[in-house]
Amino acid sequence: MPDFEAIVGRYLTVEIGGEQHRLFIEEAGRGIPLLCLHTAGNDSRQFRHVMNDKEVTDRFRVVAFDMPYHGRSTPPDQWWLKKPRLTTKLYLEIVRAVWTTLELERPVVMGCSMGGAIVLKVAADYQNEIRGIVGLESSAHAPGRYNDFLHHPAIHGGELCASYTYGLNSPYSPEQNRRENWWYYSQSGPGVYQGDVHFYSNDWDAREDIKTIDTGRCKVALLTGEFDYSCTPAMTEQVAAAIKGSRYTLMKRMGHFPMIENYPDFRPYLLDALDHVAA
Amino acid sequence: MSEFPGTSWLDRYVSRVNADAEMGVIGDWLSATFTLTFGDARYAVVVDKGRITKLIPSPRFDVRAPFGFRAPVDVWRKFLSPDPPPLYHDFFAMLMRVPDFVIEGDSLIAMQNARALHRMMNIMRETGAPNA
Repeated sequence: MPDFEAIVGRYLTVEIGGEQHRLFIEEAGRGIPLLCLHTAGNDSRQFRHVMNDKEVTDRFRVVAFDMPYHGRSTPPDQWWLKKPRLTTKLYLEIVRAVWTTLELERPVVMGCSMGGAIVLKVAADYQNEIRGIVGLESSAHAPGRYNDFLHHPAIHGGELCASYTYGLNSPYSPEQNRRENWWYYSQSGPGVYQGDVHFYSNDWDAREDIKTIDTGRCKVALLTGEFDYSCTPAMTEQVAAAIKGSRYTLMKRMGHFPMIENYPDFRPYLLDALDHVAA
Repeated sequence: MSEFPGTSWLDRYVSRVNADAEMGVIGDWLSATFTLTFGDARYAVVVDKGRITKLIPSPRFDVRAPFGFRAPVDVWRKFLSPDPPPLYHDFFAMLMRVPDFVIEGDSLIAMQNARALHRMMNIMRETGAPNA
């Protein structure tokens, strides 16, 4: 028998803002839905270790999807006539469209980086529909990552985006894993990473929204790596301070991509966070 | 003039870059001269197809270098330490979060070579801390 992993990938058409999007979705496990949101310019492969962790999948139905334009998801029709530009409004709409189309009941929503940002807005706006959020590298406001060179005709976008994000890993994480994430970054389409950073660094500001999150209805667990310089520990501390009842844990010797750069070290933090939001 | 990072460290660095297997794969397109400035000590690094062919201390004005990296010795010392603190652990981290670490000159040329340059900066860390 071939030694297949437990992950199963499929395609699903999801209506987002009146447009039909063919999205790639992969999942593993049974139980409480755990919807996973990848980082800017990347795709759902970043969650492969979570989806292959039996201790997680015995309790959770782990679902990860590629955002429109990312990974194996097809851009919407007429994509060549507009720049890929993610906004807070659109991102929120995409995430909710996925969980409602999949009929996920009171999911836990977990995201990293830009995904760790939008889960805060998901919690603020839909706290009655979800069980809780796990914010990885979550900030309510993260200026400073956008620049013109991320999509420039004289620069190889794949190599720049991958190199630009490589240092966000902790120097203590295994090189093979950091390089794997580099490779995923190198594969995004022209301007896709920049379009995501437009959301993350230009459009995103949830500093007021997060004050409305009621952790009695929607649990909040926040995990940030010590070596993250995009969303620094201090930035997540500010989020935690604004959400009464939230739980924040600093991950020592970890960087910006815990689920892919060093899963063995991330795993205890994750299991603890999942216990908290699923309780 | 500051002794940091010192001649022996620079020699070791050049040897490591020129023997680096990854630079052998990705370095073909990097042919440029750039400067490294450690406090008061400035060097021009002449690179041909990913190999350092010359290191010029205190380059005069007839050495053309389209870009360079400059920081006080304290910043370099943290970057080159065995266990660099967060924000000082990577060249892009310092560009974003350490105001004293700057790109001089034409940053477009630097970013066109981001992959190989990033590797060269990481080789600095792998060279170990200077004795100076």
